[in-house]
Amino acid sequence: MDSPIFPCGRISRRSFLHQAGGGFFGVAMGALWAEAGEIQDAVHGPHFPARAKSVISLFMCGGVSHIDTFDPKDNKWAGKLIDAVGFGDNNAEMRRPVIACRRKFTRHGQSGTPVSDWFPHVGGVIDEVAVVRSMWCHEGNHFPAVIETCTGHRGRAFDHPTFGSWVSYSLGTANKNLPTFVNLGRASSPVQLTGGYLGAGVAATPFQPGETPIPNLKPPKGGTSAERDRQMQTLQELNREFREHHAIESDIAARAGAYELAARMQLAAPEVVDLSGEPQHVRELYGIGEPATDDFGRQLLLARRLSEKGVRFVQVCHAGGGNGGWDAHGDIETHGPLCRATDKPIAGLIRDLKQRGLLDETLIVWSSEFGRSPWSQNTTGRDHNPRGYTAWMAGGGVKGGVVHGATDDVGYRAVESPHYYSDLHATILHQLGLDYQKMEIPVLGRTMRLVEKEEGKGPIRAILS
Amino acid sequence: MRLTVRWMACFVALLPLLAGAADDVAEDLWVLKPVVRPLVSAKRSMTSNPIDAFIAEGYKAGGLKPVGQADKLTLLRRVTVDLVGLPPTIEEQEAFLHDESPDAYEKVVDRLLGSEQHGVRYGRHWLDILRYADVDERMVAAPGIHYWRDWVIRALNDDLPYDQFVRAQLTGYRSATRTQMSAIGVRSRVEARPDDQFALGFLARGAVIRDGKDSREFSIVAVETVSTAFMGLTVGCAKCHDHMYDPIKQRDFYAMKALFDPLVLRKLTLATAAEVVAAGRAVDEVDRKRAAIEEPLEVLLALYRARLRDDRIAMLPADVQPVIRKPEKDRTAAEQKIADDYFPVLRIDTGKIEEIMSAADRRQYKDLQGKLSQLGDRRRPSLPAFWTVEVDPKKEQEKSYVLTSGDPDRPELKHEVAPGWPFAPAGVQFREGRVEAFSDWLTAPENPMFARVAVNRLWQWHFGNALHKTPSDFGNLSGSPSNPRLLDWLAAEFTSRGFRMKEIHRLIVTSDVYKLTSEVDQKRSATEIAADPENEHLWHFPLRRLEAEPIWDAVFFAAKDLDTTIGGPSFEVGGRRDGRGPARRAAFMIRGYTTSRDVVPNFLQAFDVDDGRAPCPVRTRTVTAPQALFLMNSNVIDGEAAKFAERLKRESGGDLGAAVDLGYRVTVARPPSRSERDVALAYLQGDASRLKGLAWLLFNLDEFLYAR
Repeated sequence: MDSPIFPCGRISRRSFLHQAGGGFFGVAMGALWAEAGEIQDAVHGPHFPARAKSVISLFMCGGVSHIDTFDPKDNKWAGKLIDAVGFGDNNAEMRRPVIACRRKFTRHGQSGTPVSDWFPHVGGVIDEVAVVRSMWCHEGNHFPAVIETCTGHRGRAFDHPTFGSWVSYSLGTANKNLPTFVNLGRASSPVQLTGGYLGAGVAATPFQPGETPIPNLKPPKGGTSAERDRQMQTLQELNREFREHHAIESDIAARAGAYELAARMQLAAPEVVDLSGEPQHVRELYGIGEPATDDFGRQLLLARRLSEKGVRFVQVCHAGGGNGGWDAHGDIETHGPLCRATDKPIAGLIRDLKQRGLLDETLIVWSSEFGRSPWSQNTTGRDHNPRGYTAWMAGGGVKGGVVHGATDDVGYRAVESPHYYSDLHATILHQLGLDYQKMEIPVLGRTMRLVEKEEGKGPIRAILS
Repeated sequence: MRLTVRWMACFVALLPLLAGAADDVAEDLWVLKPVVRPLVSAKRSMTSNPIDAFIAEGYKAGGLKPVGQADKLTLLRRVTVDLVGLPPTIEEQEAFLHDESPDAYEKVVDRLLGSEQHGVRYGRHWLDILRYADVDERMVAAPGIHYWRDWVIRALNDDLPYDQFVRAQLTGYRSATRTQMSAIGVRSRVEARPDDQFALGFLARGAVIRDGKDSREFSIVAVETVSTAFMGLTVGCAKCHDHMYDPIKQRDFYAMKALFDPLVLRKLTLATAAEVVAAGRAVDEVDRKRAAIEEPLEVLLALYRARLRDDRIAMLPADVQPVIRKPEKDRTAAEQKIADDYFPVLRIDTGKIEEIMSAADRRQYKDLQGKLSQLGDRRRPSLPAFWTVEVDPKKEQEKSYVLTSGDPDRPELKHEVAPGWPFAPAGVQFREGRVEAFSDWLTAPENPMFARVAVNRLWQWHFGNALHKTPSDFGNLSGSPSNPRLLDWLAAEFTSRGFRMKEIHRLIVTSDVYKLTSEVDQKRSATEIAADPENEHLWHFPLRRLEAEPIWDAVFFAAKDLDTTIGGPSFEVGGRRDGRGPARRAAFMIRGYTTSRDVVPNFLQAFDVDDGRAPCPVRTRTVTAPQALFLMNSNVIDGEAAKFAERLKRESGGDLGAAVDLGYRVTVARPPSRSERDVALAYLQGDASRLKGLAWLLFNLDEFLYAR
């Protein structure tokens, strides 16, 4: 691939293709709205047969305690002082007391993977899940860690795109009526949505809850669709002379396309967000209608519908905004309601995909910017912990009922098969048929990649079937 | 001037071979070669604009025949939108149509260049390059940054010569004379023009606090912005390693960074003496009232706080407890470190105190809290302020180093750098200051890159594409300009005309090539379409989509709802006016970036406006579905369509034919063709209440969004 040198520091596939060819129609609309397959090329197309067609990434904002969910520890250290790092306190080194885990863990399924009583429903589908207990990253505070885990890089010295944008950039969409990369729920940071140097065209399109998932999707009140049809027809007639006089301009042809697409979106997007046609037993699976789970259940059902319709990457942020709802410094019990809100919908999503035969081609990822510490800050809560924590995956060619890696006795450091967060990225790319080592793009005379070579080891092969 | 790479004296010994090699490469970089004023072929220059002589050379070389001239109204809309960013009014259209004098067009151009809206339009172009933003995490200078934006607008309106425009933003001085000799032989600094302090917002904008810490990117972004904006060189690429393609070493980057290292921000309060005094009194007043409540409140809390603190200390390791109990002044440095580490653990929030209070005390506490909050904001009354930069003499004594990967925490102590810049001449004197020495070199008439880079941008803003395609990168990989002789002639002209930008604008927009039509007859121009499909040689006027700002402005302008006030803080969209925001020109719409919320309004994002974090030399111009959705469905369009319809009804006196006519002239500055008129009238069905639908149609016309 040519080295797009313009503008220095910003490269977008959209602008590159657009400007390199003086603007050719179709691509001019960007990957966001590109036709299926159009975006594939020798460098970034699938490098080998894909196991998964799409990804649903469930991101728990604020840092979930692995110790109280998927990485049980006995309480023999409880109450004892250990050498600690105050990640939430300017990384001060000090001795802090380990606090007891009050959860009860049960071995579930045929695999017998232990899951805490905060996630009983996920426990019910644990044979589909590969738990990685040895994730780690560098950053110990929320924004930096969110940036690190979503872009694969620390800091914003370069305009690194978020992970979903890489997928969107590489694979394009499989549905020309919908965006390639959709975000649901409130993110902790706009960085989780950014296309960065890959361009706005591959950035996440946030779908808002309610009837208008995309800005300006719905015509203003007071008009009728018959009237709008008439207007669109009249508009075409009024544009005719201008278009004839500027027939050689690809831009003008693209405008007609953009309006058609907008019209299709206007139909497709409300349809995809309309959950009313879903049968009751499916809605129940996601906990829709129950106060605790209704919100998240609707988001995950929408995630399934989007994914099913060909959206490559659906990112669902849970409890985002500020430091994130999972940030349980004061009292770990604040995890309780959050677990309740997400447990049944997540299990429902896995079951629903399974019963539709879609689980094999849909990769579900559950993660957080970091885990939580074994010790407290003199409260009943837990501090941040980037040194060792849990993420899990299901479907999309991942082995079910597997536990991989381990943290130390108290759940502080990843000690067995530690995986830098980029390995998670590499694994997801791998399942999508992408070789992380080939995903390179020259920007600023520098080779940019999602997965830097220094820390990562590549896909977590132990959990792949 | 010799254009060779010169290394700082201390390194010359180490790098003779390298420096020699770089010399050769530097000579190869064409932008560094002196501008030689090309001769204009005599035949044409007598009768027409010299620009057209150079354009004609391109036609001749390519065997191209240009299309004909645009008609009067098309030209009027083109030049009006170009120079002031607004469509021509009905009155302006009438006046131009009826002005039969040979210089009718030149009069229009002069009127537009004299309009204060010209600075708003071209200021926006420059601010893209200078990376203006209202918000960038916690930008130190953010509260008054718009004073810099407004300075730029005023400077362009005053036709401040470009060298002064640049010098003022780098040094606060327009002139290169900054010191004076008194009668008794004492040298002193000349007072700068007071309002030129605002020009330094350009540099101040770079001080940013990210994640609660000074990001220390100030001098790094200064290098990146200054080099791309004014030198057309991507010096920033050498931050982590020697430039891959251009003769710029990593050391050059850090030498240039050292120019800006001694600068610090200084807050200027923008108030009269009386206002400052009044603000002081107001502070006293609030303090007095607060003290009357805070004292009993503190007495109430102190006991509980002490109790909680004792409880917490008791939970700490045995060896830590005595350290914490010691008064601060008795602690050793090591003990103080321990105490600081435990500070967060011992911090007691009032919430915790509230939990253990007795009921009576809690009542009293709430009561006092209530009174305190009634006194209003804890913050001091804020006077308007602006952040400028100045040299910190202490920092000027500090050494500068190469930084590993550009990380301020990783200076390479073995690689000290002295102040300098790429292609600096030997023996630069920094007597008047580092940035001053640089700016004198940069803005000198002999510096070939300075004028070339500038006129190339001016050309770009008139034609959509620059003569040299990558206006912030004239480096080796960027190719060569489409018409190098024209670029050099413009550069020479710019320099000899004292860097007056308006003179170059006038030259360009009065050329024949600027007046060509954008319409192409595919049969007649088959040869040209085949030979130059990209219109590199400008055989027709390039049709282009308007940027976000003129589109926004034209919508409100059509509805006679546009507030053309210049300057002041940027506005946000949403909230007021049914989520439509104030009806101000979009140049004043907020842009910026933070990790915690979306700053750039959806409208700007949809129409390709960046957030101002990085310099944006060329906006991408996309055609997308979100743009169509904005024009079809947004409440901005809906609300303004209603107002536009009222205007059409009012001004046409209810005659629908006249309303259609007016609608076209307001939005696309021409009357409708017969068939357009018929289609529009058929749509209206003789019903004036359908005029809002017509307004919507006009806002959605291709032509409305394009400069043709």
